[in-house]
Amino acid sequence: MKALGKGSIASFIRWALGFAWWVMWFFAGILTIAAIACTLFFFGLAVHAYKIETDGKSVLMYAPYAAIGFAFVGVSIAGTLAIIWRLRRLFTNFCAGDPFNKSNADHLRWIWIILLFMEVWKYPLGALTVALWAVAPVPVDKDGFNFDDHHNGIDFSTWFAILIIIVLAEVFREGARLREEQELTI
Amino acid sequence: MAIRVTLDRILLERRMSLTELSERVGVTLANLSILKTGKAKAIRFSTLNALCRVLECQPGELLSYEPAEDDAALEKEGVE
Repeated sequence: MKALGKGSIASFIRWALGFAWWVMWFFAGILTIAAIACTLFFFGLAVHAYKIETDGKSVLMYAPYAAIGFAFVGVSIAGTLAIIWRLRRLFTNFCAGDPFNKSNADHLRWIWIILLFMEVWKYPLGALTVALWAVAPVPVDKDGFNFDDHHNGIDFSTWFAILIIIVLAEVFREGARLREEQELTI
Repeated sequence: MAIRVTLDRILLERRMSLTELSERVGVTLANLSILKTGKAKAIRFSTLNALCRVLECQPGELLSYEPAEDDAALEKEGVE
């Protein structure tokens, strides 16, 4: 089975990306509905999604954590959607048998920029959560959720992937340059 | 690019059209147009060979070097 062109591995990946695209939009929709429901809940309006067995003050404590959670998930979904969109464009060009196109280098560049943002964004959000926990910890059972066990360190695999994509973007840029030069060689 | 291709003048002297040259040399009309308008980045020796054979000329008659303003500036920087 060939890697590029019609009916190739690239075609299969493009189809899979199309499926992932719509799945992510579905999750974005669910997140939007959940965010609206939580906003209504925390601002004490008529909609109550579920009960928290605590006093009114404790319920308000959950609001900043919910906001941080929604921000984290929202950015993750938005970033993933942006990456999938770029990958779909990339594989459309691969399916057309046109790998060394300048736009492909631009797509790869944007992918690593988005990945970098998604990775860097976690740290201030994590720091904010830690600071919030120090001021207003969420009451949990003794055997329940322990924040200290769940804080994230540096994800070396993601950082390594970012470095690899940076290099690949430049490889494709150089390939596009060589192809243009070859096309303009008479 | 300071290299100029004087294909127009030679075609006029030989009373030959670009289409005829394209057929005789074996290079597409589109590529010859790119060469004629100075948009080409490089020329293969095989193409130059075919052009000189058909047009009965020397490479120096086809190609000339005309330093542009930026080339002059680059040379000045080199001297300093």
